[in-house]
Amino acid sequence: MKRYILLLILLILAALLCGCVQNTGKTEQAGNAHVQSEKVVLKVFHAGSLTEPMKELTKIFEERYPGVEVQCEAAGSAKTIRKVTELHRNADVIASADYTLIPKMMYPEYANWTIMFAKNQMVLAYTNESKYASKINSNNWYQILRRPEVRFGFSNPNDDPCGYRSQMVLQLAELYYNDSKIYDDLVAKHSNLKFVEENGTYVLRMPNSENINPDTNKLMIRSMEMELISGLETGEIDYLFIYRSVAQQHHFRFIELPPQIDLSSNQYADFYKKVVVVQANGKKIAGKPVVYGITIPENSMHKDYAEKFVELVIGKEGQKIFKELGQPPLMPPRVDNADKLPESLKRFFS
Amino acid sequence: MRHSFFLILTAFSALIVLFILLPIAVTISTQFYNPGFAQAMRDRAVWNSILLTYYAALLSTLTAIIFGTPLAYILSRYSFPGRSIVEGIADIPVVIPHTAAGISLLAVFGSNGLIGSFSPVKFVDALPGIVVAMLFVSVPIYLNAAREGFGSVDVRFEQVARTLGASQWRVFFTISLPLAARHIAAGALMAWARAISEFGAIVVIAYYPMVAPTLIYERYISTGLSAAGPVTAILILLSLVVFVAIRILLWGKNVSRSER
Repeated sequence: MKRYILLLILLILAALLCGCVQNTGKTEQAGNAHVQSEKVVLKVFHAGSLTEPMKELTKIFEERYPGVEVQCEAAGSAKTIRKVTELHRNADVIASADYTLIPKMMYPEYANWTIMFAKNQMVLAYTNESKYASKINSNNWYQILRRPEVRFGFSNPNDDPCGYRSQMVLQLAELYYNDSKIYDDLVAKHSNLKFVEENGTYVLRMPNSENINPDTNKLMIRSMEMELISGLETGEIDYLFIYRSVAQQHHFRFIELPPQIDLSSNQYADFYKKVVVVQANGKKIAGKPVVYGITIPENSMHKDYAEKFVELVIGKEGQKIFKELGQPPLMPPRVDNADKLPESLKRFFS
Repeated sequence: MRHSFFLILTAFSALIVLFILLPIAVTISTQFYNPGFAQAMRDRAVWNSILLTYYAALLSTLTAIIFGTPLAYILSRYSFPGRSIVEGIADIPVVIPHTAAGISLLAVFGSNGLIGSFSPVKFVDALPGIVVAMLFVSVPIYLNAAREGFGSVDVRFEQVARTLGASQWRVFFTISLPLAARHIAAGALMAWARAISEFGAIVVIAYYPMVAPTLIYERYISTGLSAAGPVTAILILLSLVVFVAIRILLWGKNVSRSER
């Protein structure tokens, strides 16, 4: 009996000791850098596709401000925002893969401005093991996907911008290639997803996620685009609709789709508008170029460092990183409510 | 002295029970005012996913019983070289992060995996995938409980039966197994419960068909807490009912551990 009590006391002591060790570690580091003893934790919630650039930016930022620890949390863009608006968690920076989500979900209570800082492009990623990898190109990709033994994946349009954008690309392909069966053959036949024409626009009304009912022999659907990467790596699927940045960062081969359908170019914004996805929760999204948005939410605990982080993202260094990782920066960045910006960020938009 | 002993016992116990109960009580009580709750109760998809979850967990638990019981018996009765290694292996799933477990399972049961490549059964995005994910995370719980059960059986009973001429099979099925039955049942119940709660590993290998934890997650990200809450409450309430019912069926109402 005594032995157990001794053991318990030892365990508690060990736990306390660990706490001490951690603390001294922190103060030492901070002491070396001549800043305050407690580290500031800067919370950055960002879209999954921003994981790689955020890693680089975090490294630079922490080197520059040794008193700050940047904690990044990646998730789907909508979920990222919901962590603030519904779970009421404090975030210092929010970065979304669809800049329109910030005004739609956060204004005016949780945020008041959005900076558009980078863009992306939908591609069709594959590996050397993918079926017909040696035959596929930008002209015949939809014919290859049509073959019955070819499987491909996209993320859930209800959860993930990359998911509804995949649907838009496929529907735009019908218009662009003048082949009205592309979406039907590739998706509609194998699931409950279907575009209907309404006064010149094509609308996909999403069923609830549990009713998408995909034929899993043809389609692989996951909540988020990053979850499908293992599917492509293990050969579960042959092709995957995903952002160029992700394909590039994971060293996948990829087919560049025509700019008329890959949602990358402002030049074709009017054409993109022809396709609309209505999510199961009622949110209506029209096709538009993929542009990333960033904001500092009202409940940020460290607005000063958050502003410095945003400066880094939209400044020269950030632009270089985004370019290298396949997310071309907007030069110059744009903002919707310039008057509501914090003073330190206004200089980028004068 | 006696007084303070019970006081401290009660105080600590109350704290830990509150710790478990509070989040659950809050989740359920907020549903009384949520119009979405009645809607979710009538929602076929919700019930389908819950039934699927229970069913898959049942299959996983049965598999654990059939293949796990012999191992538990061996581990409690025989010592052999490498026994502690086998015991360690049996516990590995407990420490692996669930997402990592899912990825490992995908590597084995995926279409090009070690087993998946030749198996006529399709695992990815199908019921068997859900079952293997559940089995992987819940089998250590069953193994440990069953091993403890066999350990609690007095070996002398088995030896006496053997000297009286009973075969090893007969001894196992008429002495060891019945005497360990309560532990085994408790272990199976916990393993079943663990299987129901699994999300991380399942969502990697089988997003479809949607089990209840995936559905809850899905409702949460596509619509938000207001839609995820009711499903959560239904799952908690139903599981509570099933749990209490099984415990009463198996052990009667007020049997304390020492009396079993």
